[in-house]
Amino acid sequence: MTRKAKILVVDDDHDFVDVVKTLLQGESYDVVVAYNGKEGVAKAKTENPDLMLLDIIMPEEDGFLTADELRKDPILSKIPIIAVSSFSGGDMGQPFPFEVDEYVMKSAVTKELLGKVKTHLERKGF
Amino acid sequence: MNNKFPEVKPDGFTPEEAAVTMRVRVFVNMRWFAILAIIFAAVIASTVFHIGFSPLPVYIICIFLAIYNAVLWRLTRNLTSEQTGFVVPRVKHYLYTNVFIDLTMLIVLIHYTGGIENPFIFLLILYVILAGIGLSHKTTYFIATGAFLMVGVMVTLEYTGLISHINLEGFMPPDQYKQASYIVAILVALAVLLYSSTYLTTAVSGELRKRQRQVVALSQQLLVEKETELDVSAKEIDKLEEEKKRFLSFLGMAAHDLKAPLAAIQGFLWLILTGYTGKISDKQRDMLDRSSRRINDLVNLISDLLDIPRIEAGQLVQEMKDVSLNELIKRCADDFSTVAKEKGLDLNVEVPETMAKIKGSDIRLRQVVTNLLSNALNYTLWGSVTIRATETELEQRVEVMDTGIGIPPQELPKLFYDFFRGSNVSVKGTGLGLAISKRIIEAHGGKIWAESPCPETNKGSKFIFTIPGKS
Repeated sequence: MTRKAKILVVDDDHDFVDVVKTLLQGESYDVVVAYNGKEGVAKAKTENPDLMLLDIIMPEEDGFLTADELRKDPILSKIPIIAVSSFSGGDMGQPFPFEVDEYVMKSAVTKELLGKVKTHLERKGF
Repeated sequence: MNNKFPEVKPDGFTPEEAAVTMRVRVFVNMRWFAILAIIFAAVIASTVFHIGFSPLPVYIICIFLAIYNAVLWRLTRNLTSEQTGFVVPRVKHYLYTNVFIDLTMLIVLIHYTGGIENPFIFLLILYVILAGIGLSHKTTYFIATGAFLMVGVMVTLEYTGLISHINLEGFMPPDQYKQASYIVAILVALAVLLYSSTYLTTAVSGELRKRQRQVVALSQQLLVEKETELDVSAKEIDKLEEEKKRFLSFLGMAAHDLKAPLAAIQGFLWLILTGYTGKISDKQRDMLDRSSRRINDLVNLISDLLDIPRIEAGQLVQEMKDVSLNELIKRCADDFSTVAKEKGLDLNVEVPETMAKIKGSDIRLRQVVTNLLSNALNYTLWGSVTIRATETELEQRVEVMDTGIGIPPQELPKLFYDFFRGSNVSVKGTGLGLAISKRIIEAHGGKIWAESPCPETNKGSKFIFTIPGKS
């Protein structure tokens, strides 16, 4: 029996976290949750997730800073990050200023998100 | 030599240097004339009027003056190659030496041509007037006094017999220079004329110089004022830029905060609809389905509404970089291939393998192409949708053609208005898609328009936009 893939969801929107959690648990993934960027980095260290879903706009440490911090750490930088935001490209006015592995708009969170989660985990052998 | 601004002149002189150098040069030029005039006067006096005096000393003095003037001419001509900064003291030195030598020569000349008998003695006044135009008050009074004293010394020496008197035979009685009343009268007249002309010239030239300084001061003041105005304008522009930035970031946050709750609602609805939370009845499914669709419409409307001020505030320009339209079109068309297949429509993509890059916003141009393709597929029930790109040296042109319901001719002009929706369409939309596309294309310096029916097929409609080439 293979190990279940562990996904870390970082988002300050509790309702949205519940949506993603229900969706991923329904697909039999292990889900770990963090409600802000700092907690996200801490949980990434302790929980050693296989994939991260990272919200962009969060109070205090936002997704940009969190991703920056993770990318600086030699171990944590190996965790694939899917940025999840209700920002559309036009809201940003430019492409994301940092490297994420994937970007999903919250309004398309459902099928698209699941598809992208699966693709990334397959690459890691799940 | 009055410059509008006290700037360094092209030949490297400051205005003061230029002024003082020019005075020396004027004196040099006038001296040539004076020498000629003296020789001419001497010749006329001895040959025409037969006035008895020896012209030899006059010619000797003239030769001396010519040599000295030539030297001076050479010195001042070479001034341009001098290092600036040394020019003013040096030229002033020339000027004072000039004046001294000139006066001495004049007195000597007058001595040899009759002394006090010579009416040309009054030409000293001319010299003072010339000096007064270019030199300071003090110097001019000093020169006038010097000239008068020199005349005084000459007259006294001749009167006392310490130097010989040369009589202008046939012009003046030989003992005229001994007549005290005559001497006093000439000297008083000379003094009065010297000092009054000194006073007049220095007053006039002083006034002129004062005006000159006022003009310079005024123009400097105007310059300062203009610079201040420019500063104020620059600050205002900075402030407006700052405000625009704040406005755009406000719009960004508004977009996020409006969409975030809707995303959560949509997420919940989707989970329920896809059965993650257990079974639901058909009636419930229908209602949740409709709720989800309405929320989707609302998300689109929010995006569209916030897009308009963003495009109008010029956010687009910040996003512009090199864009390949052919690649952009292929990517957009790929996104629609599933939709087209589901509807049983042919989606034809006719783009060249390579196209010159244009300056544009990738995100926004994708929005336009997506909007046009989405409209074409929405309003076409059977047949095909074709997207085609072509380029000339001047512009790149994208056409989206469909075999759909077409556009009533009376509605063609209103098609790109905000919130305009065709009377023959049933598919829901915000009515802003084309209005936004128009703004985006126009922000790129291009044009967008529609034709219906499509001229090639005589069916459906055709949307065309052009973007100017990079050059």
